[in-house]
Amino acid sequence: MKKHWLVLLAFFGILILSACSESTIPEGAEGTSGGDSSSSGEGGQEIIYASTTDAVGLSPIMTNDSVSSSVTEQVYEKLFVRNPETMEIEPMLAESYETPDDLTWVISLKEDIEFQDGTPFNAEAVKYTFDKLRDPETAAPRASLLEPIDEITVVDENTVEIKTKYPYGPLLAALSHSNAAIVSPTADQEQDLMQEPVGTGPFKFASWSIGDQVVLEKNEDYWGGAPELDRVVFKVVPETSTAISMLQTGEVNFLDALPTEQISRIESIDNVEVTKQDGTPVYYLTFNHSKDRNQDPDFRKAVASAIDRDAFVANLNDLGVRSDSILGPQVFGYDESADTAGTAYDLDMAKQLVEENGYGDEPIKLLSANRDNFILMAEIVQSQLTEAGFTVEIETMEWATFLDTARSGEYDLTFLSWSNVTGDGSEMLYPNFHSDNIGASNRAQYNNPEFDKLVEASRTSIDQEERESILNEANQLMLAEDAAIVMYHGVVTSATDESIQGLQMDPNGQWSLYNVTRE
Amino acid sequence: MVSLIIQRTLQLVFLLFGISFLVFSSMHIAPGNPAAVIGGPTATASDIEAIEDNLGLNDPFLTQYARYVGNAVQGDFGYSYQTTQPVADAIMVRFPNTLKLAVASMIVAVIIGILTGLISALRQNSWLDVSATTFALAGISIPNFWLGALLILVFAVNLQWLPVGGMSSPWYTIDGIKELVLPAITLGTGSAAMIARMARSSMLEVIRADYVRTARAKGVKEKNVIWIHTLKNAMIPIITIIGLNFGFLLGGTIITEKVFAINGVGRLMIDAIAARDFPMVQGSVLLVATLFVLVNLLVDIIYTYIDPRIKYD
Repeated sequence: MKKHWLVLLAFFGILILSACSESTIPEGAEGTSGGDSSSSGEGGQEIIYASTTDAVGLSPIMTNDSVSSSVTEQVYEKLFVRNPETMEIEPMLAESYETPDDLTWVISLKEDIEFQDGTPFNAEAVKYTFDKLRDPETAAPRASLLEPIDEITVVDENTVEIKTKYPYGPLLAALSHSNAAIVSPTADQEQDLMQEPVGTGPFKFASWSIGDQVVLEKNEDYWGGAPELDRVVFKVVPETSTAISMLQTGEVNFLDALPTEQISRIESIDNVEVTKQDGTPVYYLTFNHSKDRNQDPDFRKAVASAIDRDAFVANLNDLGVRSDSILGPQVFGYDESADTAGTAYDLDMAKQLVEENGYGDEPIKLLSANRDNFILMAEIVQSQLTEAGFTVEIETMEWATFLDTARSGEYDLTFLSWSNVTGDGSEMLYPNFHSDNIGASNRAQYNNPEFDKLVEASRTSIDQEERESILNEANQLMLAEDAAIVMYHGVVTSATDESIQGLQMDPNGQWSLYNVTRE
Repeated sequence: MVSLIIQRTLQLVFLLFGISFLVFSSMHIAPGNPAAVIGGPTATASDIEAIEDNLGLNDPFLTQYARYVGNAVQGDFGYSYQTTQPVADAIMVRFPNTLKLAVASMIVAVIIGILTGLISALRQNSWLDVSATTFALAGISIPNFWLGALLILVFAVNLQWLPVGGMSSPWYTIDGIKELVLPAITLGTGSAAMIARMARSSMLEVIRADYVRTARAKGVKEKNVIWIHTLKNAMIPIITIIGLNFGFLLGGTIITEKVFAINGVGRLMIDAIAARDFPMVQGSVLLVATLFVLVNLLVDIIYTYIDPRIKYD
């Protein structure tokens, strides 16, 4: 008997030890080369960025989350890019463009550019990428980005012609979206870009230890000149407070999207620089417009006038910008006049409306996702609405359930947000409020034919000045109707080790490491 | 013994079938659509439909389940909906980290737990006993995320003796051990407290047994009375607690893995559940269930050594 157990014990012991020793193979199962997470790097300049989740994948075509795009933005490039300072759209891989008619965009491409695998960047690569993104068989999460495109034709080696189904004003904005980055056709056919990306960008893929870190290294042959940084590590640190401790000890050098409640702790750390910049994201309270009660303009006015948004923004430690406008100050289509075009906070009026119409009799279901500042918004709004006489019940749920519940309209009021990567007003109003998207991204179930027409006009005009004016009109129409109540516009933040210079933040929260140096 | 192993293996097969069906159906019943998570808030209805078709989510439930089981029995646990990576690879990359953490915290827990329980039982009602019981109560009560954050602040940020987080070095190197210290203490404290309480009560029970009194009366040295006659006989419930705790730790310890940025199975599972990544959840749960059964089998086998009266044949 004793021998038996000894043999078995030894067997289990060996099992445990062998499993332990598996971890000594650095990221072997992924076929990656692994990496050293020390901040000293391997002799060259290195930066370690921490994010709370891992990238979903490294193909711009197949992903639609901010962490993946943080990586893909360094590896791939787009035809156009929005200048973060002027907010104008400028050519990137494109050289210039012309629009011979409302449906045709002829884009000349920069010459003598190669992908990191040596494949030439040309009109074929552009056509390949966009056709792949649009192909229903690809099932790309943002296939709809290029939905207005009818056909892409290669005119010559460095010229591509895009025909749209209808005049499409935001086309350049769509082409500046991270999902429209150009991939190497050769690499896409030979390997899985989700695991091993190949673009034209300043950094090329080195390794990915899934769930732990992605490592990029400098692209010595980058067409714009090699970057100063030799190595970039995207490290997964799920707990923000741990990431801040790591920033403090130098285990990481760069964090972004700093949470409101931690900002004062981060600012108090020596040798760490915090930057804040007005951004494109917007956070708003919306009505479920398919519900009868929410179609009563006085009900919406009562809700809007009961919410003290100034007081709420004051709680955000400078991480929110106050404006009634649904299109924020950094978004194309914004006009200053919209800042105060919504219903102002007026508790007396709210109380009066609630009392006169008996709005407090039936409880309101306030739905909230349990992430970011949503719970904070829900609690404050619940207390303010209660003060005005409403009866409010908060229902919180995790993200996946929330997306489904809001999409199917099972709520009275809810909070939504939109990061608006393209920074274009049509890209905010169309998906979120146009009746075409009810049952999908129009979670407010907003259905207003007059508004729909304005949004369609903003999309089908290619005269940018005209588009700006139409977008403002649509924005003001929603505000006049109290269709949605903007809680705040986001502020894009970063915390970096003070040795880091040249980090360029975009108002949409993305950033480029191309010009970064460490001193 | 052999029959026990055969019996448990057969049970495991049925158990895995049952669990896979439960997990598969509960994931499908639960609200939330994987395609909507992949598409994100910006996806349109047509984007989501295309993703659903691509993932085969529009097939009837039983067709999906049969397909899954058919592949799984051939060793193919499918691909992650989110990352398109093979599920087995994703789990095997993380499992060694979870195992390292589980083993290290059990070492901490067993050493602290048994010693504390023993001292406490031998010096019943002394100040040592009171301190040990207080430790046990505190160990059970202190939440892991709080203890973890506190240890990080003291030992990693202020004293800078140990790294804040991560687990990238081999366990047998100095760096690897340094990476394990704080997470193992954080995770081990709760188990140590449970083991200490169990060890104390079990020892107190055995120490009053007739055969212990007889041993003492026969003039056996106190050291031998404790180590040979008492502790060994008191070990059965302690081993049970250790086994249960170890099985539990192998299932991944979400909070500790999160606080210390450890790429383990617990985090994988919770992320997969949040993303409704069905194949990944399924694969991880099956692994955890298998490990739990194996650990319990090991515990049963250890019983036979500790108490030769226990026989399975």
